Amino acid sequence: MARMKFICDAERCIECNGCVTACKAEHDIPWGVNRRRVVTLNDGVQGERSISVACMHCSDAPCMAVCPVDCFYRTPEGVVLHDKDICIGCGYCSYACPFGAPQFPTNGTFGLRGKMDKCTFCAGGPEENSSQAEYEKYGRNRLAEGKLPACAEMCSTKALLGGDGDVVADIFRTRVLNRGKGSEVWGWGTAYGRPTQGTPGAAPAPAKKS
Amino acid sequence: MLTKPGMTVSRWIDGVLEKNDLIDQDSNLRGMFFWGHAPNSQTRGAEMKRAMDKLDLLVVIDPYPSATAAMAAMPGTAGDLNANRAVYLLPAATQFECAGSVTASNRSLQWREKVIEPLFESRTDHMIMYQLAQKLGFDKELVANLKMVQGKGGMPEPEIESILREINQSMWTIGYTGQSPERLKAHMRNMNVFDVKTLRAKGGVDKETGYKLDGDYFGCPWPCYGTPELKHPGSPNLYDTTRHVMDGGGNFRANFGVDRDGVNLLAEDGSHSKGADITTGYPEFDHIFLKKLGWWNELTDAEKAAAEGKNWKTDLSGGIQRVVMKNHGCHPFGNAKARAVVWNFPDPVPLHREALYSTRPDLVAKYPTHDDKKAFWRLPTLYKSVQEKNKDIGKQFPLIMSSGRLVEYEGGGEETRSNPWLAELQQEMFVEINPAAANDRGIRDGEQVWVKSPTGAKILVRALVTERVDRGTVWLPFHFSGRWQGVDMLPYYPEGAHPVVRGEAVNTATTYGYDSVTMMQETKTTVCQVERATA
Repeated sequence: MARMKFICDAERCIECNGCVTACKAEHDIPWGVNRRRVVTLNDGVQGERSISVACMHCSDAPCMAVCPVDCFYRTPEGVVLHDKDICIGCGYCSYACPFGAPQFPTNGTFGLRGKMDKCTFCAGGPEENSSQAEYEKYGRNRLAEGKLPACAEMCSTKALLGGDGDVVADIFRTRVLNRGKGSEVWGWGTAYGRPTQGTPGAAPAPAKKS
Repeated sequence: MLTKPGMTVSRWIDGVLEKNDLIDQDSNLRGMFFWGHAPNSQTRGAEMKRAMDKLDLLVVIDPYPSATAAMAAMPGTAGDLNANRAVYLLPAATQFECAGSVTASNRSLQWREKVIEPLFESRTDHMIMYQLAQKLGFDKELVANLKMVQGKGGMPEPEIESILREINQSMWTIGYTGQSPERLKAHMRNMNVFDVKTLRAKGGVDKETGYKLDGDYFGCPWPCYGTPELKHPGSPNLYDTTRHVMDGGGNFRANFGVDRDGVNLLAEDGSHSKGADITTGYPEFDHIFLKKLGWWNELTDAEKAAAEGKNWKTDLSGGIQRVVMKNHGCHPFGNAKARAVVWNFPDPVPLHREALYSTRPDLVAKYPTHDDKKAFWRLPTLYKSVQEKNKDIGKQFPLIMSSGRLVEYEGGGEETRSNPWLAELQQEMFVEINPAAANDRGIRDGEQVWVKSPTGAKILVRALVTERVDRGTVWLPFHFSGRWQGVDMLPYYPEGAHPVVRGEAVNTATTYGYDSVTMMQETKTTVCQVERATA
């Protein structure tokens, strides 16, 4: 089975925020929660680079390792998901994540930190695929419909690629060869380690409903 | 007066405010329609507010009330407001509530389908146009060649397909004639047969109509000459002599005669589009030229009747274009050289002329602007007198002020700033200022600053300290509106219709200045001073 991965090509990203807008619209994400964002380094000076960042669905995911209630699980396609019925909103994952992926809606009473929300690789959550309950908690499940993540599909320069790790790596390798200079594949090593690592673990059974 | 070129949209405020005896028409401008147009994308906002107040009639036709509604409603200078002014807000349907063709910036046309019926009181633009023509008494003429159908609420409106067909039957000069609704719809149904790199169809037959798509460029990018039946494929690139004209090729147009001051303006021998029967330069085609070449009898009898006494632009049968292109591989508009010396422009070859408001008196002296014009599109248009008066303006306003676009917003921005997904990405109006210019003024990144204009207007915005601009220049985006010289305009929007994000419009602070050919407004070069706002 394909191992799903993201690549963002900093040579191509033009900071248009199309990925961010696609994500927000696809999943109806509230104001202030950013499953995906575009980060620009050296803004306004020579060598300026932008990259689109979201949950990278790491092979050895730190969020998963630190979660005190074990709400994370990994799908057979390598997508790291979590169960909002188990999450207690403690924020440990947010400290552990090297990409700043976990988001916490703070619009409750006293700015209460709500349950964690993050990029699902458009793969929903533990609820039944494409159900209303899944949509409301996790957004649309495009993978179940045979589609790739909305952000990468929307990307106008194809800087952001999302899909089978082998396929996106091949596309990127071809680009690097054509450019004849080093890769700008930010975060790839952090997320996926060396090629020998990263055999996806089995997904836990969906949380039981009481 | 109807035959005299009218005022340009950039100058409507002067049409209202200028002294009556100085304008080249009987009365001042009394009524204004903003039809899908943002006031804050136009310069001299402070004066525009005065002009809006003096009008008899102000109409906004837009899916959003737009900044026009709020600007008109907010209090202006005492004494400016015309007590009898009538303001109408007419809600127009969005793109999702109507169908029709839409042209992209690569010149391809696409056909849009209606997604939902127009909501609330909104009507389609063509229904509003028809109903306006009814009130003005020329509705029968407006729709003489159009099929009428039932639109919203059973009210009649022109059928959208027949509007495009009327365009097809009349726009011969720019090749807007071949893109029939039928061809465009066939393209939309069969997108898969078009190559994503060349945009060209490889084979393919439309199941619904049997139309053969092979060779068409997607959306028949104009120029797509001749009748739809001629099947010109559209032109993916202009002036491409490596292709046959019936393959989307072409050459430069013979639009300025055949010679000037003894110099040949037509193309030199051997320079022509691929496969052309005439391998020298040649003028545009008309009935006489066709007869001289012996090509006249290649027209059908019906085409001959229509083409007699006509040229390639006025022959409504399309016969001249058909014979010239299909039978002889020539371009109907002739084959000439590119015109690099534009002798009818004030500067036939572009010259630097220093901006009216400049921080450099030495450059004003070295590169002075044009002389004032008495009547340019009916209005006195000032150049030298403004520049002379302001040649030392840089002492008080030492920063060059420029404006431009952001990717998140479009135009005046009322629609896109009403979209929460986009509004969240750019929540505040800002001014880009160089670290050196900011430090000299005691301004830190993210602080509130006043941007002050020579007009006396000032806008309150956030400082974005960046190396993107040099020490002498500041830059501001032009998509914001809804704040006016430090004051929130929220109370002046119709209830519930305000955009999510509001900010100062840069054009509240822009100055006078117009292009000497096109009357385009000066939005890129004026001057300002920036000061830290003390809370």
